[in-house]
Amino acid sequence: MNVLFPHDPLQIERKAFKEAFKLSASTMPGIFAWGLVAGMAMVKSGLTLWQASGMALLVFAGSAQLAVLPLIAANAPLSVVFFTAVIVNLRFVIFAAAIGPHFTHLNWRQRLWYGYFNADIMMALFPLRFPPEKLYSAEGKVGFYSGVAYPNWAAWQGGSIMGILLAGQIPQSWGIGFAGTLALFGVMIPLVINRAALLGVAVSGAVAIAGIHWPYRLGLLAAVVSGMVAAMLVDILREGRGEA
Amino acid sequence: MSAPDIWLSIGLLTLATFLSRCLVFLLADRLRMPPRVQHALRYAPAAAMAAIVIPDLLLAPDSAFDASWHNPKLLAAAGALLFFMATRHMLGMIAVGMGLFTVLRLI
Repeated sequence: MNVLFPHDPLQIERKAFKEAFKLSASTMPGIFAWGLVAGMAMVKSGLTLWQASGMALLVFAGSAQLAVLPLIAANAPLSVVFFTAVIVNLRFVIFAAAIGPHFTHLNWRQRLWYGYFNADIMMALFPLRFPPEKLYSAEGKVGFYSGVAYPNWAAWQGGSIMGILLAGQIPQSWGIGFAGTLALFGVMIPLVINRAALLGVAVSGAVAIAGIHWPYRLGLLAAVVSGMVAAMLVDILREGRGEA
Repeated sequence: MSAPDIWLSIGLLTLATFLSRCLVFLLADRLRMPPRVQHALRYAPAAAMAAIVIPDLLLAPDSAFDASWHNPKLLAAAGALLFFMATRHMLGMIAVGMGLFTVLRLI
């Protein structure tokens, strides 16, 4: 600890990094498990060891990877592969809209770099620590963001590589991927801050179930949007009744 | 797909990742989001987690809706939730959930 200069910017970022690292570390077995599932799926769909590793390291988006594997196996046109990945990734645009405004003090290269790491677990942890009220203070943000981003990247990649190497040796019936669901379930609980959020969660879950077979995983996107809107409507109704 | 086409696909997928995650980061200072959108975005984290978690808990492997006590994931998640509420311990929650799930699907 730097006692002499408690407001040293570097110290603040370092402290925020450690705080985020501690927070995200406990979810990492779940993220690792998801990487494992994606890694195994890539090899099973016929990619070579190098292709699968390259896909994991560069693409770093499990749901999009899983969505295009059957297309690659079926020799679909490249435009279809690209279009599918863009649509499946659309929820990240919402994530970027929520988190991106916190990083307008960075230059474009840094924004490109940090934006790349804005995955599901970041969406759970960052807005909880930095609500919109803290939009105009940059303090601790890069540190905290990095403390989630890099362990998440490492855990997911570690899982992917392990899955690529072990493909076929872990029976599907073990349901390893459930560990990832449990991790996100755990980070979801503190996000349910009021009745509006609770309704948002219920609506999002219901739409996700109803849309599970929709093409391009559009059910997932529709679920996120309708959950957000439902929660906001609750707030508006309560405001109208003077309850807020 | 031929090997070059697969690598081309990987390149396009990487581009898709960058487009979806980084474009709004790059344009954030030029984007004026209406207050309603900003308001709704407050609930995006909870809605995003729910959209991934809830279908996995309530749908059987064949995508059939199963909210019964015979659904091992649902029961395991309920146990994991109780554990988390009592201890606030995430790692323990994952361990309890996976343990319960494994026992429940074997019996």
